[in-house]
Amino acid sequence: MEATNKELYDLVLKDAPYVIAAYGVLWVAFVGYVSLVLRRIMRLEKDVQAVQEAVERREG
Amino acid sequence: MRQLKIAVVMLLIGGLLTTAAFFLAFYTAEVQRFGTVTLSEEIDSAYPLVGVSNEGLQYERPWFSQKIFYFHVPVAEASFLVLILSAFFGVRFLTTRRKEYDTKSRIAMETALTFVALTMITGVLWTKASWGVWWDWEPRLTTYFIMMLLMVAYFVLRNSIEDEERRAVYAAAFAVIAAIDAPISFFITRLIPSQHPVVFKSGFATSNLLPFILAQVGMLMIGYAIYVMRMSEERMRERLEVAKEALED
Repeated sequence: MEATNKELYDLVLKDAPYVIAAYGVLWVAFVGYVSLVLRRIMRLEKDVQAVQEAVERREG
Repeated sequence: MRQLKIAVVMLLIGGLLTTAAFFLAFYTAEVQRFGTVTLSEEIDSAYPLVGVSNEGLQYERPWFSQKIFYFHVPVAEASFLVLILSAFFGVRFLTTRRKEYDTKSRIAMETALTFVALTMITGVLWTKASWGVWWDWEPRLTTYFIMMLLMVAYFVLRNSIEDEERRAVYAAAFAVIAAIDAPISFFITRLIPSQHPVVFKSGFATSNLLPFILAQVGMLMIGYAIYVMRMSEERMRERLEVAKEALED
C-alpha cells in the first residue's frame, strides 16, 4: 500500500474488522472441522481394534 | 489408511499454500480501488483526485475489503466443484445401484455444504464492507442462496426417508438437481446485469493473481482432504458395524 495520508488509511481501516472476521471465521471453521473429524477417526480406530480383538479372543 | 495419509499430506500442503496466499494478499497484492471518497481538503494522495463537487474533493477509494476476495472466491469455486462431484456420484449410483456411490455422493454434498456456508459468511462480510448492506437480492447472491437451500433440503430429504434404497435414489436425483444451480450461479453475473464483481472479466495484476492462484489450489487440496477424511471415517464406521455384528453372532 503506497498511500501516505492519514485520511485514506482511516477509510481503509474501517473495512478491517470485516476482513479480519472473514479470515478468522474461515480458519477457525477449517481447523475446528478437521480436528473434529480426525478425533472421530482416531476414536473409531480404537473401537474397531477393540472389537476385532474381542472377536479374535472369542474365536481363539 | 493410505488414502487417509495422502489426505493429511494434502491438507498440510493446502494449509501452507493458503497461508502463503494470505501473506501475499496483504504484503504484495496491489490494493484495488472502488468508488470515491470525498475529502474537505486537498491531500498528497497515492490515489488520484477524480473530481470536485460542492461537498469537497473526490479521491479514488482504496478498497481494503477486496482482500476478502482471495479466500472468498477460492472457497466458492471449491464449493461448486465438490457439489458437481456429489452429483457425479449420484449419477453413478443411479446407473450402478452400488451403495458406495450413495455414500460418496452424501459425503461430497456434506463437504460442499461446509464450503457453501463459509462462502456465505465471507460473502456477507464482504457485502457489508463494500456495499454497506448485509445482503442484496442480486442475481449471484440469490442463485447461490437457492443452491444452499437445495443442499440443506438434500439432507432433510435423506432424513425423511427410512427405506435405504428409496432414500439413495431420491437423494441422487436431488443431488443432480442441486448441482444444476452451480453453473447457473457461476455464469449468471456474465449473462445478466449484476452488482457482483466478475473476476476474470476485468483482468488481474500479477501481484493479485499469484495469491489468488495459491489460495485456489490450496483450497481445492483442503476440500479434497476433507472429503477423503470423511470417507475414511465412514468406511471405519462400516468396519466397526461389521466387527460388532461378528461379535454378536
